[in-house]
Amino acid sequence: MIHYLMMCRSLTYAQRTARVLEKAGIAAIVTKAPQELTTDGCGYCVKVSEKRLADALINLNKANLPPVKVFVSGTKDRYSEVQL
Amino acid sequence: MIYLDNAATTLHKPGTVWKSMEKAMRTCSTPGRGTHAAAMNAADAAFSCRETAAGLFGVENPEQVALTFNATHGLNLAIHTLAGQGKTAVITGYEHNAVVRPLYSRGLSVRQTVSPLFDQARAADAFYSAIREGADFAVCTHVSNVFGFVLPVEKIAEICAESEVPLIVDASQSAGVLALNLADLGAAFVAMPGHKGLYGPQGTGLLLCGRTPEPLLMGGTGGNSDLQTMPDFLPDRVEAGTGNIPGAAGLTAGMRFVQTKGVGRICRHEIRLKNAACAGLERLHGVHPIWTEDETLQTGVFSMVFDNLSPIEAAAELGKRGIAVRAGLHCAPAAHRTAGTHDSGTVRVSFSAFSTMDDVYALISAVRAIRR
Repeated sequence: MIHYLMMCRSLTYAQRTARVLEKAGIAAIVTKAPQELTTDGCGYCVKVSEKRLADALINLNKANLPPVKVFVSGTKDRYSEVQL
Repeated sequence: MIYLDNAATTLHKPGTVWKSMEKAMRTCSTPGRGTHAAAMNAADAAFSCRETAAGLFGVENPEQVALTFNATHGLNLAIHTLAGQGKTAVITGYEHNAVVRPLYSRGLSVRQTVSPLFDQARAADAFYSAIREGADFAVCTHVSNVFGFVLPVEKIAEICAESEVPLIVDASQSAGVLALNLADLGAAFVAMPGHKGLYGPQGTGLLLCGRTPEPLLMGGTGGNSDLQTMPDFLPDRVEAGTGNIPGAAGLTAGMRFVQTKGVGRICRHEIRLKNAACAGLERLHGVHPIWTEDETLQTGVFSMVFDNLSPIEAAAELGKRGIAVRAGLHCAPAAHRTAGTHDSGTVRVSFSAFSTMDDVYALISAVRAIRR
């Protein structure tokens, strides 16, 4: 299933992001970022479903919590960056 | 035992505190060291603690809440951040060694203001004059740990803001007892323990950060592992190594207890007990409680001195009768110098939300028996 990964600078930032999304009724899972997407070692991201990305970004912008980058899953767990 | 040493550590905790800690011990590992359930449980426990603290203390976002080992740790972080070669710090005359020792260890020029007990106007005036002479930063205890004197921290924060002097607030005796709001104060840092008025366990504390602190410990944070320096964002910047996650879970439960009970209600309860105790003790010959009835000036903490008993002897005698109090200088010699009790020290009595009027009667009765 296609999903989006919103990259966060830290675990706590990812938790804040997930909290905002959950309050808006958007399912969000905090997880470790795939190695291919991190630039300086372990990183964290928030996973949301394909259908909720727009809502998620609106809510995060309102909360002044923009994700660093957003990636979309492709085939065989390969990710490509979404240009926002 | 009748426990009246709550200004050191609240002994009686809500049952939710140790239940939360036990659950954390059974289910949590370390935040950021994996995405397995145990690591994520730990991350949730740490985040809940930050989020609860942010709500209780007017912190805009939970990332600004750093989990520390105690108030001393937080104060050291804050002072380490603002201190530097040749800098001048202004402090009140009621500071604890957790403030004084870190300042002197860095060779700073320390300007200590002096003002009488229970006189907020003169405390603010003295601070204003000291700041006007020039200062790089200031430290103010919110409540004296020896006398329960409430310093005019809002006024002092205003004075600092007008002069653009960063302020560190030591909220060791006020967190959970008096209203405290980081955003309203505009302080650079507010440090507090978890184990006193927030009813958490020992080994916990919070540093509310109005700016990014400089780390004292370097090490793993569970993120940005390829960097050879500490991350430049909170809370990771000051949280190297594995933290006290069961403690954070207990502290969260303690803060929720305070929220449910209400800071104002807890404070009024403690002041009522303090006033009753002091009024009763004052009627006895040979003992002198140091207090004011004005509830804006003193919390549920007071000191007393005896005519013919040293504080150490008095506390020992009270201890034999099942009353736990603290004697001596209370790690705050500056406060005793300011108040004129430095030569002998005092016996300190301090109440908590769990103290009762029966505790007060027992204290008065025991003091009646030991005074000479």
